[in-house]
Amino acid sequence: MKIDPFKELNPPTKDGYWINKKNKERYGGQYISPLLVPNLKRVQEGFFKAIKDKKFMKELNEELLSFIGVNTPIHFSPELTKLAGGEKKVGKIFLKRTDLHTNHSHKPISAYSCCKLAKYLGFKKVLTETGAFQNGRAVASACAALGLDLDIYVGANDAKKLAINKDISALHGANIIEVHDSTKSLLPAMAAALRAFQSEPDSMYIVGSVAGPHPYPLMVRTFASVIGRITKKQFKSLTGKDPSTIFAVCGGGSNLESITYPYIKSNKVKLYAVESAGKGIKTGKHGATISGGGKMGVLLGMRSKVLLNGGNIADSFTEASGLDFSSIGPEVAYLHSIGRIKFLTATDIEAKKTFMMMARKIGLICAIEACYVIHAAIREIKKTGKPKQNHLIHLCGSGEPNVAQMMEFMKKNK
Amino acid sequence: MSKLNKLFKNLKIKKKSAFCGFVTSGDPNYASSKAIMKEMTKHCHIIEAGQSFSTSTSDSPIIMEANDRAIKSGMNMTKTFKLIKEVIKETNNDTCFVIMTYLNPIVVYGVKKFIKSSASIGIAGVIIVDNNLNSPEEKILLNGLSKKGIGYTKIISPTNSEKFIQQSIKNTKNSFIYITTYAGLTGSKNVNLNNVKKLVYKVKKYSKNMPTGVGFGIKTPKQVKQVSKYADVVICGSNIVNKIKEGHERRLSAPKLAKFVAKYVKQLSESTK
Ligand SMILES: Cc1ncc(COP(=O)(O)O)c(C=O)c1O
Repeated sequence: MKIDPFKELNPPTKDGYWINKKNKERYGGQYISPLLVPNLKRVQEGFFKAIKDKKFMKELNEELLSFIGVNTPIHFSPELTKLAGGEKKVGKIFLKRTDLHTNHSHKPISAYSCCKLAKYLGFKKVLTETGAFQNGRAVASACAALGLDLDIYVGANDAKKLAINKDISALHGANIIEVHDSTKSLLPAMAAALRAFQSEPDSMYIVGSVAGPHPYPLMVRTFASVIGRITKKQFKSLTGKDPSTIFAVCGGGSNLESITYPYIKSNKVKLYAVESAGKGIKTGKHGATISGGGKMGVLLGMRSKVLLNGGNIADSFTEASGLDFSSIGPEVAYLHSIGRIKFLTATDIEAKKTFMMMARKIGLICAIEACYVIHAAIREIKKTGKPKQNHLIHLCGSGEPNVAQMMEFMKKNK
Repeated sequence: MSKLNKLFKNLKIKKKSAFCGFVTSGDPNYASSKAIMKEMTKHCHIIEAGQSFSTSTSDSPIIMEANDRAIKSGMNMTKTFKLIKEVIKETNNDTCFVIMTYLNPIVVYGVKKFIKSSASIGIAGVIIVDNNLNSPEEKILLNGLSKKGIGYTKIISPTNSEKFIQQSIKNTKNSFIYITTYAGLTGSKNVNLNNVKKLVYKVKKYSKNMPTGVGFGIKTPKQVKQVSKYADVVICGSNIVNKIKEGHERRLSAPKLAKFVAKYVKQLSESTK
């Protein structure tokens, strides 16, 4: 399948804001130290040049198809459909198998594209951050493929966790730097990577989600939207029409935007984001920026919804490392504010039970992150699904990195 | 006349540069920080008090640690205002207090409330590291603070473009422009003071009367002396913060810690020309 060219459907202002016309609230922007301004300008100008460069885009698309394997299947899931109440009652449920990419998640698309951009712009080295090493691994693989050096910043607490993706990143040759600031998790790791960018203007910073200062949210969703562009064509040829609903899990919002972006102007397609409710929203231990009542704040270079604790950023909590983020991409927060994307949640325990169900009944080991969306989608479809509808769930990653964690769960719940 | 402008006018008559010492507000805790700042007012024309932000994107590890100590001890914007208010009241000298922070703590505290509180306790100036020159917040803060006669400082570095430097000069009101010795994090080891000198002269070329402050990596009396030959303000931070850490780790009491830090600050300050 050929990749359709990117079409800008929701452009931010030239300063990188998405503005809600009703209440004038702005999302995005570029809130950074003046010392970073020249570095970001180089990335921003380079990005706009690259996406207009036919040769660059052609090569990139070819490599995404061959090396990442972006043309993954979409298939009907009779079992999930049955769980939601049956085709006669709620319609059909389909899965988009993004877990089948090289490196097993949606992250490799933007990681590879951004690394390709780094190379195009003449950078020799890349800086990035990671929580669960899903992004770290994706960037490490891309840097190896493209001959770039890489520093990965990771919170010291995250680095302690035994993780296959961490080892894989090291095997690819990445230099792993532990961050001991603040909560020693993803947020300080991201701040540390941005600080490193300030001292190393000859390296290009790459972010792992649709977050950070302009142009990062725009750049990541533009590159990642390849998934949605392919999905749109695939789904049409499979069913003859667009899906009625699309469900995706949301930490920062990259896999959500990657699949929903081409549909944001198609108002008949209902879009759902699923956040981690952790131990339950009411306990305060969750990773649900929108559903948990996040407020407007400014962090990591962007203005967006943030879980706050006084003037500082509150810790998020969830057992899915990929969702452990106290904020959300600005364009996603904007799309929520105008009512285009509805938000749902699932708790850690619901996700783990769903993991086991997928393993035992469907035969798939899904990323724990994806289990939040599967659970919430089935619940929602059961409630609101109608006959003849087609529902699409984004299976955004494979659960191999979660095997140890889930073995423990299985033993405890025998 | 604004507090900072008055300071610069007085120093100009004396043909002297100002010394500015940076500390993180509430580091290592409220009581010690207050004692340190009080003691520092004896030696500093300007005290730059950092309101910490946990996800700071521009501070060196030394200042990140200070931020952690302050946050752990329960500091926030409200307490920073209280602390500075008490120091001003109890010292009764002319030291100018400048708050250095990030936009998030201000947005969360409330932009209008921030301007009001700053005015009511007599803050001389504000530096917001991550406020973009073109952001709507920039306009509101610049106008709001200027109306109250509070200084607004922008930061520039040797790598910024001419256009950026000119706009930063324009957005600096009732205060000094902050020139970093290099484009990197605070507290780096090797600084090339020649680049800074050029930038100071460039600023003077664009705006003859704009006071220039130079900071980042200045730690020895010799460097202070050198920079003060051409800059209007010499700013020292990381090494003062390091002294606080050292004294805190030696478990000095608040008054002893304050004396320990101030002794070092005095050395630096006395080197300004
Ligand atoms: C498999 C998977 N899904 C989802 C996420 C959440 O991030 P985002 O919301 O940006 O897609 C991650 C992040 O690491 C992930 O690894």
